[in-house]
Amino acid sequence: MKRFDLIVLGTGLAGLTAARTAVETGAKVLIVGRGMGAVTLFGNTIDLLGTIPPGTDIAEGIARWIADHPEHPYARTGVKGIEDALADFRGLFPPPYGFAAEDNGNSLLPTGAGTIRPTYLFPVTMAAGAAMIPSETLIVGFRGFKDFQGDTVSLHLKCRGVNLALPRYGLEGTTALALARLMDAASFRERLGEAIRRQMGGERFIGLPAVLGLRNPAAVLKTLEKTTGARVFEIPLLPPSIPGTRVFHRFREELIAKGATFLMGHSVSRANVKGGRCEGIAVENPPLVTEYCADRYILATGRFLGGGLWAEMEQIVEPLFHLPIFQPGEREQWFGKRFFDPEAHPIHRAGIVTDADLRPVDETGRVVLENVRAAGSILAHHQAIEEKSREGIDIATGFLAAKRALAT
Amino acid sequence: MTKAEKKPVLLPKLPDVCVRCATCMAACPVSRVTPRFPGPKQAGPGAQRFRSASEASVDDWIELCTGCHLCDTVCPAGVPISEMNMMAKAKYLDERGRTFRDWLLVRSDLFGELAARFSKIINPLMKNGILRRLLDALLKIDRRRDLPGYEYPTFRRWFRTRSTAEGATGRRKVAYFYGCFTNTNETDVGKAAVEVLEAHGLEVVVPPQRCCGIPRLGVGDLKGAREMGRRNIEMLLPTVREGIDIVFSSTSCGLMLRHEYSRILHLPGAEELAGSLFDICEFLLRLREEEKASPIFQPLSLKAAYFAPCHLRSLNIGFPALDLLRMIPGLDVRMLEADCCGLGGLYGFKTEKFSIAEEIGKDLTEAAARMNPDIILTDCEGCRMQVRHLTGLRVIHPLQLLRDALNPS
Repeated sequence: MKRFDLIVLGTGLAGLTAARTAVETGAKVLIVGRGMGAVTLFGNTIDLLGTIPPGTDIAEGIARWIADHPEHPYARTGVKGIEDALADFRGLFPPPYGFAAEDNGNSLLPTGAGTIRPTYLFPVTMAAGAAMIPSETLIVGFRGFKDFQGDTVSLHLKCRGVNLALPRYGLEGTTALALARLMDAASFRERLGEAIRRQMGGERFIGLPAVLGLRNPAAVLKTLEKTTGARVFEIPLLPPSIPGTRVFHRFREELIAKGATFLMGHSVSRANVKGGRCEGIAVENPPLVTEYCADRYILATGRFLGGGLWAEMEQIVEPLFHLPIFQPGEREQWFGKRFFDPEAHPIHRAGIVTDADLRPVDETGRVVLENVRAAGSILAHHQAIEEKSREGIDIATGFLAAKRALAT
Repeated sequence: MTKAEKKPVLLPKLPDVCVRCATCMAACPVSRVTPRFPGPKQAGPGAQRFRSASEASVDDWIELCTGCHLCDTVCPAGVPISEMNMMAKAKYLDERGRTFRDWLLVRSDLFGELAARFSKIINPLMKNGILRRLLDALLKIDRRRDLPGYEYPTFRRWFRTRSTAEGATGRRKVAYFYGCFTNTNETDVGKAAVEVLEAHGLEVVVPPQRCCGIPRLGVGDLKGAREMGRRNIEMLLPTVREGIDIVFSSTSCGLMLRHEYSRILHLPGAEELAGSLFDICEFLLRLREEEKASPIFQPLSLKAAYFAPCHLRSLNIGFPALDLLRMIPGLDVRMLEADCCGLGGLYGFKTEKFSIAEEIGKDLTEAAARMNPDIILTDCEGCRMQVRHLTGLRVIHPLQLLRDALNPS
């Protein structure tokens, strides 16, 4: 049987980052996921820690956060670890479609719900959103594209909004992917730019749903800015996320180019554990079960949606390795009284507790499996939704897990 | 490596397993090019909640699903989306009835041998403009689509009459499932398969076999597909029971034999067969990794693009052909970054679906233009036809290039 240097379980941002970090060192890597991973759901921008107010240096903010939250995943990676991991991530997206932060701090970007949301790194196609002035902004939606209502978004953002009919295409009930694909065609985006220009009343900013092409979004941006004479930005919206899909495709392209084996579509049905080590995993594609083995493993299977965690009636379990899970007491203590409580539901803190090397440990702090590391949202003691730290945790811990795994 | 395990498969087939995350909507090749198909989320689990065995189908757009399976591969909840679509399509077409064209096209295995025998007459006829207009008008087989030419002698006949390579008898045996297209339309793929397997120290045997039945599954003819499957299992199991592994060079035939026979058709013996079936490149790669055979590849100075067929993705074995091709010195081989060529087997031959197949294919054409390769390699005959049609480039099976690298003469 072929032996890999590393098997990464999970095709979300944490798993992709871990696999990519490993192939960069020349390691033979297998990455396996049940599906495409959450990057197509959430991955519009790269959140690091949204609770740090804009204008504050992010490194200082995180250093303080770590001091106050010694159990947080960021306490494992440290500020330097986050910086290195993000630099690596940014290296995967060379200009013209690059990711950047503004003044080393958080920026406030408009969302498809018409709210303003803090984030750290964002693609060049969203940069103008951080600078937009509502009175000078036109929000453009498309008739028949239900995921983005230009008038609602503009109402909340206090801008002017229009919904354009798509000339010639007549796409009633179109999808984000169909729109993104149209944008990839130069003739379409030129006509769109013209159509927007005719709607403009002196606005200097144009906001569009985040569907500005899959293949070459920077070129779409350039065309639209040239034709309209305004600064154009994408607004993150409902899944499937086109910016997230770009991220996924870029990682997959790079991993395959560097020789990684990429398996997608079936879950890992079993792990063989012997003597405190993982000896192999089995992937089930009915009626077959295929076994793969490696010297090291990284578990980046996500939380409840991804299947990394599973809530039984009385306890939360990790279904593959049956790792010890930190959990907030009895079931009745898992949730707050109201769904939208500003305080995180206690269940969000549940997850895997690790040592400094990201190896899962039990209640006594003893390492459970010496060649398995955990990365991403499956880790305990973060509240990615409320903290707005999802992508930062994924990238920083995925990077660290791969580095530490390959150092042994 | 792959092996069948006796274990009940607990696939959650309920549409409620779907959490409506819409990831499949970022993968479906059809819904990205036409608003006529609502996409896998709606067509699969969405509509499934409203489908009832006792009521007539209302979702006529279900026929627009190509059965590429890409939705299954990206779903984070493990919903068997394409299977839901397949079942709904079968029910819809059972009710509506299938056209004569569909009846005819899925039976190409029956007249293929005869057509090959008379290929000198048939091939020019299939290029004849008047006949193609007639086929288009009467049968709705799109005249803009090149029909594949037939070749004689067929692969089967060639294999039977050839002299086995020196010293090839008495070696470890491997059985070859060649598929109809290799047999009558692209015999060189079969010849390359045999030569490459023999170069890896194996004796090739060709057990009796029939069309795998995937064309019938494509038009929702479960009964017909089941009949093909039943016969193939009957013909192939003796080989399996002799302890001989079976390899396939067509990823669509392979997907059908290895997974659909049990997953969709629930055929007895399907699991036993699946446990001994391998994609030919997967098999060769394993031989080399286990150092059981490692003939040396001679350098080939070419810029090649490798395109991964959807059904290979659905097999979920990675890209073994790409891994093998990378062992050829001097060969600059890169992945063609495109999802789905658009042909969908017989789908793209049908007049009412031709434009959808073409539109899906445009993305591949552009990806190929960006790479500008000398040659494109892909494991599926449908993809090869479509990629040739789209790019005008030389498009062959990876095995044919591997064979060239093994016999530089």
